[in-house]
Amino acid sequence: MNWLALRMLTGDRSKYLSLILSITFATLLMTQQVSIFMGIVTRSASQILDVRDADLWIMDNKVRYADEAPYLRSNDLQRVRGVPGVEWAVRFHKSNMTARLEDGNFRNAIMLGIDDATLIGAPHSMVEGELADLNLPHAVFVDKSGYEYLWPNEPFQLDREFHVNDRRVVLKGICKASAPFTTLPVLYCRFTEIEQLLPANRNVMNFILAKPTAGSDPQEVCQAIEQNCGLMALTQDGFFWKTIEYFMVSTGIPINFGITISLGFIVGAAVAGQTFYLFTLENLKQFGALKAMGVTNQRLIGMILLQASVVSGIGYGLGMGITSLFFTFTNRLAPMAGIHMTSIAATGVGLAVLIIILLTSLFSLRKVLFLEPAVVFRG
Amino acid sequence: MKNLRNAFLPLLSIGMFAFSIYHLLFAAEKLPKTSPPVAPPRRAFVTAISGAGLIEARAENVALGTPVAGIVLEVCVTNEQLGSRVTAGTPLFRVDDRHLRSQLQILEANLILAESQFERIEQMPRPEELPASEAKVKAAEANRIRLKDLLDRGEQLLGKKVMSEEEFLSRRFTYIEADQQWEQAVAEDALLKAGSWRPDKTVSRATVEVAKANATNMRNEIQRCLVRAPVDGQILKIDVRPGEYVDTTASRALVLLGDLDRLRIRVDIDERDIPRFQPTGRATATVRGSSGGSPLQLQFVRIEPYVIPKKAFTGDNTERIDTRVLQVLYEIAAEQTNIYVGQQVDVSIECEPAKSDEPIEARPVVE
Repeated sequence: MNWLALRMLTGDRSKYLSLILSITFATLLMTQQVSIFMGIVTRSASQILDVRDADLWIMDNKVRYADEAPYLRSNDLQRVRGVPGVEWAVRFHKSNMTARLEDGNFRNAIMLGIDDATLIGAPHSMVEGELADLNLPHAVFVDKSGYEYLWPNEPFQLDREFHVNDRRVVLKGICKASAPFTTLPVLYCRFTEIEQLLPANRNVMNFILAKPTAGSDPQEVCQAIEQNCGLMALTQDGFFWKTIEYFMVSTGIPINFGITISLGFIVGAAVAGQTFYLFTLENLKQFGALKAMGVTNQRLIGMILLQASVVSGIGYGLGMGITSLFFTFTNRLAPMAGIHMTSIAATGVGLAVLIIILLTSLFSLRKVLFLEPAVVFRG
Repeated sequence: MKNLRNAFLPLLSIGMFAFSIYHLLFAAEKLPKTSPPVAPPRRAFVTAISGAGLIEARAENVALGTPVAGIVLEVCVTNEQLGSRVTAGTPLFRVDDRHLRSQLQILEANLILAESQFERIEQMPRPEELPASEAKVKAAEANRIRLKDLLDRGEQLLGKKVMSEEEFLSRRFTYIEADQQWEQAVAEDALLKAGSWRPDKTVSRATVEVAKANATNMRNEIQRCLVRAPVDGQILKIDVRPGEYVDTTASRALVLLGDLDRLRIRVDIDERDIPRFQPTGRATATVRGSSGGSPLQLQFVRIEPYVIPKKAFTGDNTERIDTRVLQVLYEIAAEQTNIYVGQQVDVSIECEPAKSDEPIEARPVVE
């Protein structure tokens, strides 16, 4: 009987294809939009994720997200070091600065200042240059896409001189860094260089990176830091989600993407539902004949559900594949770097497709279940 | 054939799905945790307070200045002597003293003048003058006797009315004059023999003392131009070269001296950590940039009981001050190489665990 159902489905090639296409399209639209949304929102916390050698982030206790952190007093570092459960703590700086290039153009850039002695928070993979070169005087590193942004269509060339905050810096390395939210170049330099670049500032440390001692609970260490120093301490995950939350609540990004995603769902559901309904109507005679031959309603429900799941399974598979292909190719472009399909998108859209297919089958089932077998003989 | 055509879409879909699983697994590769490029300073004790420390020489670094302003004429220690031991009194550098030396010559000449004047007064009367004076007395006396004789004779002649009264009176007045001249000669002789007047001698002696004091003063001034090591120690830094102008403001240390046999660490402890600080706690220090290796063991020396504003060592001309710190001195227990005075270290000091019922400290919203 299942074989009959499948023959029925593939018998009408145009309907079969349009059913698959609608599900494919809906899957593609939703997975792609959900993934891009997640990728872009994650980018707002790229600099947090890029620090892979420290577990705890310590900052002013009113900080809302990573780009908005006031400077701490330099002695706070020593106080954090004295908190029980802290293995080590080092200073970290993050701010936006203006870089003026050789040709007079100027670009905003994200400046990260890392502890001179330990280089904690430094980039881990270099495209050009050595990590140790960061110790050279006035040395800065730039991320790869930042280089392409600052000097478009130019080959990688080190020892370029340019100005940051009207002070000379020398490019000593090109590194890999996760793309930031605003496609700005990410510059790295040592903390003492930052102090030279921001002479007017009383303090230049806005974050402290720390590691809890082995065996201690990071959450407890965070609480201890908050109690002892009055500073906010977060795990990398905690800070990541705090920053994401800020972007979710304070920007229009979730609404925009939400609209596209629900459009994908509605269009997919409408097209698939309509086509499947028409397909069932056209095959009503066959269902009537089967009913007349004494096939039970349960059997018929099974047939329709089988047809629906085959169509949705094929469509879902194709949609997922196209999305993956899309991201595989776009990953090489700077504006889309680091954005890939997420498992949350895949499972979520899977559930959405399941809902679409259940809804559409429901309409068709109603028609078949209330069908008079005699209808076959009327026309 | 038809079966194949029917199977095409499902097979393609399964293939695509498999690819998407592969994409999910490998594109979303979570970056692994890494360890820092250089090991950061670790806490040495379970409960500890931490502070930034600066290495200094035992008995502190002695930053030498100059007592006089001027151009440096010569530097007596060379850079080759940096780190070598000098004893107290070793000449270090000389500020221009040529004008003082020429003034000293004048003052010394003045002293000689005063001394010889004093000597001249002291040795009066001059022996050669005495016979002449005595001869003068004798001559006056002889003249007086001669005229007295003439007067006596005139008196007899007047009685005999042989001589006129006018002539007699003339002889008499001539005698009185000669008598006075004799008395004058006797008095002058006595004055000469008495030598110089005592108050004159005192004045002259005082002039000599003044000249002597002036010369000594100038010699001291010249000595002040030569700066010497005030204590035994090693030369840490020579920041002065011949021809440079130096003045008496303490803006920079011209020569830095210190005792390098034992190094000490001056630790800044945040004022908010002072309640937890205990001098008895063990302490260790980690040199910045040292990866691995055991930290330096420290011995407590003393607390400087005045809490001072913390200075951040930025190298910038505007120092940043953000809090006040208690300075505590520790001595590095063991002999160490490769550690230098002025180096920054991170210090960890053991302390009692904080009581859990301590109130949470409120952090000021605006600093």
